[in-house]
Amino acid sequence: MASHPRIVVIGAGPGGYVAAIRAAQLGAKVQLIEEHDVGGTCLNKGCIPSKALIFNAELVGWIRRAEEFGIRLAGDLTVDVTRMLERKQRIVQTQVRGVHTLLKSWGVSLLKGRGRLTGPRSVEVTDSGGTANRLEADRIILATGSNPIMPSQFPFDGERVITSEEALEPRVLPKSLIIVGAGVEGCEFAFLYQSLGAAVTMVEVKDRPLATEDEDVSSLIEREMNKRKIKIHLGTRVEKTVIGAAGVMATLSDGQTLEADRLLVSIGRSMNTRGMGIEEAGIALGERGQILVDEKMETGVPGVFAIGDAIGRILLAHVASAEGKVAAANAVAERGTRSMSYDVVPAGIFTMPEIGTVGLKEWEAAERGMKVRVGRYPFRALGRAHAMDEIVGMVKLVTDAQTGRVAGAHIVGPHASDLVHEAAIAMRMGARASDIAEMIHAHPTLPEAMMEAAEDVDGFAIHLPRRKATG
Amino acid sequence: MIPEGLHYHTEHEWIRQDNETAELGITHFAQDALGDVVYIELPKVGTEVQSGQEIGEVESTKTTSAIYTPVSGKITAVNEDLRDKPELVNQDPYGRGWIAKVQMTDSSQLKQLMDAKQYAAYLKENAE
Repeated sequence: MASHPRIVVIGAGPGGYVAAIRAAQLGAKVQLIEEHDVGGTCLNKGCIPSKALIFNAELVGWIRRAEEFGIRLAGDLTVDVTRMLERKQRIVQTQVRGVHTLLKSWGVSLLKGRGRLTGPRSVEVTDSGGTANRLEADRIILATGSNPIMPSQFPFDGERVITSEEALEPRVLPKSLIIVGAGVEGCEFAFLYQSLGAAVTMVEVKDRPLATEDEDVSSLIEREMNKRKIKIHLGTRVEKTVIGAAGVMATLSDGQTLEADRLLVSIGRSMNTRGMGIEEAGIALGERGQILVDEKMETGVPGVFAIGDAIGRILLAHVASAEGKVAAANAVAERGTRSMSYDVVPAGIFTMPEIGTVGLKEWEAAERGMKVRVGRYPFRALGRAHAMDEIVGMVKLVTDAQTGRVAGAHIVGPHASDLVHEAAIAMRMGARASDIAEMIHAHPTLPEAMMEAAEDVDGFAIHLPRRKATG
Repeated sequence: MIPEGLHYHTEHEWIRQDNETAELGITHFAQDALGDVVYIELPKVGTEVQSGQEIGEVESTKTTSAIYTPVSGKITAVNEDLRDKPELVNQDPYGRGWIAKVQMTDSSQLKQLMDAKQYAAYLKENAE
């Protein structure tokens, strides 16, 4: 292979554009193909726009409570959705421009169009006008992403029965909303829309919201839903959905019927891997349509790599980026040597309050037969949390009882998605809970909750009363 | 403010006896100290409980506080209205703000509780 290998990346989401930049940094000549805008789902239809709107919603919540803080408002509060969406769009555009600047500065050439594998070393790009261009490559990285699952039982019309994509563009706010699926995305939208004034009802097949998270996280969030009058039907599915003149009617498996202005289906994502020559090139797909790769991110066809949602492992932007860096390093090197590790994957869930999580959940540890010791600390016991008036939630630290090492952390509360990174670095370094407990934490700050939770593993948190003997 | 005929616990729960059934709630003093109640974690119907055991939690805008049962037995009912209207505990702590009913296994445990007069004195004593 030439010293400046030609690498073609299909898909410019947080996996693809990161892989492209890293490959260019390592000396490759990189062509990046994107059908829509750079940044992919994350930047255009996911993480960033939803966080922009969630910030609005939180602000509305604070303003409604202004009097409690001795702030008097002269008039009534009204929400101008158009302005809200404009702000969101501005943020997205700034970020998109930023990615363009980065690509340019590293000499990555961006090709607008739909990419298609035409062989293990060749790609065809078709632009919106239908003109096709053929590219030759030494290595190819597939980063084609995913789309919302849209089962045919739901009459999607983009107005009343919608996916997350339309839920991020509410030209008019609904007075009521049914959300099918209480996973990460469904729960985020539930709090978002409730804060903006909608009556929200959720329908979830499993017996708790955020069923893959730690049990304590689910029960805290369910409690917050109750407090905000977000209704949730657990262990229930939607059997039938009908669009009427006034709204949507959903019939549930328990016979109840729900009516609302809109119904959002949020039951997961499907891999965007069909119809682009992947299987034809001899690359194996799994049963969910995910591209199968090894730990070096390489498919069964040498020289063709795949990353991100398309490989269906952990559907998170930052995991896609990490996979992209590994794939790029291996694609540029004569003999790939970097392996992808999923040991420490922190994640944020932007409910109200938000959630930060990393590592083993308590149920997961139990499933693996690991004996654990758990420390907990409620934000309610923390001075800073009171000063901020954000006292709901807790830090839960899961440690391996044998080694004392941090095995997981699950935080619900203010800045939880930021706070979780202390536990993440502890896990990465193989630190013990005592390392966190003995490290001085600045006062008055939210990370003190992490220190106290670490102390609570041994039952010695200073700012918690003595634990009652159980049994 | 402190109704006659009820039994009072040092943790500020009250009991209304009806034969072997004890209806349980938190006192006016308790709800006043907690402030606006925003959530109540209710026990599960059918749970066996021991006197002194924590059976739930009251969360207010200021704090959380455990709910203790002063009597042993089995939870036979919980006030489902509180799920939607936790504020009933503030508005009517001895009435519509009741929390749970316990089928007592040993109603003599009620003798260890205070009557209205004793509870009034207890509050006064602890006011300093």
